[in-house]
Amino acid sequence: MSLDLAIFVISALVAVFGATMMIFQRNPVASVLYLILSLVGQAVLYVQLGAAFVGAVLIIVYSGAILVLFLFVIMMLNLRSSADLGEPSPPVSRFVKYFVSCLIFLELSFIIRESLGAGSTTSAGIVTMADDSFGSVESVATLLFTRYLYPFELTSVLLLSAIVGAVIIARRATEDELPPQPEKAVGPISQKTNEGQE
Amino acid sequence: MDFQLPPYDLKMMLPEIFLFLWALVVFTFDLLTNRKKETAIGYLTLVGILITGVLLAFTGYGRGFGNMFFNDPMARFFKIIFLGAAFMAVGSSFGILKQRIRNHRGEYFGLILLSTVGMMFLASSQELLSLYIGLELTTIPLFVLAAFYKDDKLSVEAGIKYFIVGAFSSALLLYGISFLYGMSGTTDIVQMKINLAITHLTFTNIGMTLVIAVVTMLAGIGYKLGLPPFHQWVPDVYEGSPTPVAAFLSIGSKAAGLVAFAKIFVNGLSAFHGPEMLPNDWGQLVALMAILAMVLGNTVAIWQTNIKRMLGYSSIAQAGYIMIGMVTMNVYGLSSVAFYMFAYMFANMGAFAIVTVFEDKTGSTQIASYRGLSKSAPGLSLTLAIFLLSLAGIPPLAGFLAKYYVFAAAVEKANSADSASWLYWLVGVGLITTVFSLYYYANIIKQMYFSREDSPYKIPVSAPAMMVIAICLIGVILFGVWPEPILQFAGDIPASFGFIAR
Amino acid sequence: MLEMIIISSVKVIVVVVAVLTCCAWSTWLERKVVAYMQHRMGPTLAGPFGLLQPIADALKLIFKEDLVPKSVEKVTFALAPIISFVPAILTFAVVPFAADFEFFGYQVTGIISDLNIGVLFVFAVTSLGIYGIVLAGWSSGSKYSLMGALRATAQMISYEVGYGLSIIGVILVANTLSMKELVEMQGSDSIWFFQNWFVFKQPLGFLLFLTCAVAETNRCPFDMAEAESELVAGYHTEYSSMRFSMFFISEYANMLAVSAVGATLFFGGWQGPLLPSVLWLLLKMFLFMFFYIWLRGTLPRFRYDQLMNFGWKVLFPLALLNTMITAAFVMID
Repeated sequence: MSLDLAIFVISALVAVFGATMMIFQRNPVASVLYLILSLVGQAVLYVQLGAAFVGAVLIIVYSGAILVLFLFVIMMLNLRSSADLGEPSPPVSRFVKYFVSCLIFLELSFIIRESLGAGSTTSAGIVTMADDSFGSVESVATLLFTRYLYPFELTSVLLLSAIVGAVIIARRATEDELPPQPEKAVGPISQKTNEGQE
Repeated sequence: MDFQLPPYDLKMMLPEIFLFLWALVVFTFDLLTNRKKETAIGYLTLVGILITGVLLAFTGYGRGFGNMFFNDPMARFFKIIFLGAAFMAVGSSFGILKQRIRNHRGEYFGLILLSTVGMMFLASSQELLSLYIGLELTTIPLFVLAAFYKDDKLSVEAGIKYFIVGAFSSALLLYGISFLYGMSGTTDIVQMKINLAITHLTFTNIGMTLVIAVVTMLAGIGYKLGLPPFHQWVPDVYEGSPTPVAAFLSIGSKAAGLVAFAKIFVNGLSAFHGPEMLPNDWGQLVALMAILAMVLGNTVAIWQTNIKRMLGYSSIAQAGYIMIGMVTMNVYGLSSVAFYMFAYMFANMGAFAIVTVFEDKTGSTQIASYRGLSKSAPGLSLTLAIFLLSLAGIPPLAGFLAKYYVFAAAVEKANSADSASWLYWLVGVGLITTVFSLYYYANIIKQMYFSREDSPYKIPVSAPAMMVIAICLIGVILFGVWPEPILQFAGDIPASFGFIAR
Repeated sequence: MLEMIIISSVKVIVVVVAVLTCCAWSTWLERKVVAYMQHRMGPTLAGPFGLLQPIADALKLIFKEDLVPKSVEKVTFALAPIISFVPAILTFAVVPFAADFEFFGYQVTGIISDLNIGVLFVFAVTSLGIYGIVLAGWSSGSKYSLMGALRATAQMISYEVGYGLSIIGVILVANTLSMKELVEMQGSDSIWFFQNWFVFKQPLGFLLFLTCAVAETNRCPFDMAEAESELVAGYHTEYSSMRFSMFFISEYANMLAVSAVGATLFFGGWQGPLLPSVLWLLLKMFLFMFFYIWLRGTLPRFRYDQLMNFGWKVLFPLALLNTMITAAFVMID
């Protein structure tokens, strides 16, 4: 049991540390790195809770794909010196931010302390759910394709609209608006990298 | 392993499925016609919305996908509002398509349709997961639509602001929902209601956790509705985005937010309303937001010089009035909200349609450019005046009855119980701020009619825009004098939420 | 409990040492094979057949000066080689390297950790390997490195989807995500010992996996992240000495990891007659490694937009098709 506790404490600390450092970094690349660290910590927590599938998917989808894209974009913009990153916010607004954050943190910890009474946040619903197969690929899949089939299918409509939207936003002016440009044949990446260089 | 699919009844969601497929048809049509036939695409979209409306009329009450999809009176009523808003937004978009949007026309209409599909799914969801996805499906196309003038800085700013605020508010809402799920162990709203009540009676400490859930979800939905203190994005987004999109935002997105609010709070958290469970009472929190909305929206609107910004602040104020009906947890509350939204749709869409045609011709959204418009475009000026008066709540227009029913519901509730007497305050603030609102609505009428200057603008109105304006005009006047059919329809809503007349 | 920990630790140490050793002699193998393909001799002086060449190389790299250019981001620059090295080694945690055996009276399983989501673990871990390359390129503060990193990212996004989908077929057929069960499923006692290998049930899936695996390891013909003829040395242009050799080792460790995963998923892992099970796995991995080197010796480099096209327009649809066909067959069964 103590090993479990140790793993929990370490990974929870890593997750919180990563998330905190992510916010405090001025450098976006460092932020992304700390976010990855935080995600890894969270994934370990999921695995420890028996939801290994969720943990693996968290790593594959977020760390493996989404954050790589983040890094890609950040590198493309090539923000490096502190001049690129803009002025730090004025002390007053910074103070307000910290103050409000601390307030919310205190509030949350107060509420959590208050509700730490025996079994306060567990209910009949949760207890019945936690059987052996909880969190396994099979049980997740079974739920996803039977009981939650409707929201699952709805997600595909959502993704479609997001894709259409992303294409519209990201696509540059079409032939209707601009004369065709000769350098277009070089490919989308090379153009952008050239712009990104100093 | 045995797979037990829930009994799915696709017949129930026929309008939604049809509209979704129609959106794909619109995308494809745009491609096949080489992106040239913008008018044809517009009409195609209008036809699709009309057919969906007909399908909706033939789809009765009932359930689909187990308990996940539910055509209750509220869903059907609000689906009419969504379709109406989409219809009018599309109808008034023909002008900007000719002039400002030279590519992605099919996508413009298709995204409006997809957003409408999201709203319709949202209205029918009986479960937090699909509710959330429906809300996302509503807003994600709207982010893109808000930034549709890609060469216009204001529009891009509007898109980015709306995107960041929207993403943030969704995250907040989801955070709150996760607390609800943690406490109740279910995502089904009705089951959640029961589980929460049981948990609340068994363990006393649930209240504090519920506070986090309520506050975060209120913030999330408050952003979507533009309720203060989560309203800052509203004027900027309304000003920057294409005018029909702003109109669609003000009706469709707001109605979607209202449905989400009604489902989560009025239905799911109904046990935690009222002073007898004080730490968990969300009603007074919402009332506070409503008061802020009415006061802030109506006063700040007075100083606006841009008509779209003014309408933005006006919509903040209107959201405040609507929330009065929401916190009135009695048999009249929800039906008054539905009627309010219905009347508001005609007046607001009509006003925005006229702003659109004016902008198409003059390129201006300044209130000052409306000076003397009554001489050069008397019909249009009169119509705009009627819409504005309806927004202000002047009898015999629909806007008056809407406000009347909301206030009446609140007064009735306040009369019925001592503990609800704070609703009097709400009504009082509502009445006073209505008088404020008259000032800025009348200001435009003053500019149009009582200015010595002559307007240089002759405003041509295209056929679809004319149709939209005519429909709105008829709606505003007709339902102001003959509200019975709508009231009867809306009167079914509270029963499905468990409010039954004694 | 204590025994378990000791046994696991011993297994970990043995596997890591074995992998590192294999890495070292993979470099020798590569040089030899490419040399013979080009009618050269390759390394011959250090030891018989030049077998001691890797040791000489290692010594040279260790004693080289550790140059750190001024323009680098120090922390990430130092972290990058480690980040690229660790995932490659971690993969071996779920690769079954031998049949269960008895060792001084203890029953030992031939796998470090039999996760029930082993295949997913592999993909989770390998997807992290890209950060080593990306960070190296970014933190070096050099154009060539940045270009290499950008290319690596674009490349990774393009093939990762196909890579993930290519093994869905195997998972569908096997109905498990555990690497151990996958291997056991492919065993056969008959004289046709290979009859249950998934490569015969999933030929298209295997080809897709093989192609994506080459891209995954940034090997020729998909080595545009290094592309020595265009980008000097790509993402590790600014690295020298031990830091460089870390990248060098991790490239080979990655190849070995992918080979091991490929052998496990498609060629029955350690299953095979007569020979000890470990040797069978090594043999199969050797075939994969030989294939890699063979590719390098023969094929020219893709242009990276060609790779992106290839990933999205060929690999991805084919992988989807494979998944759908497999799913249909599984359902009919």
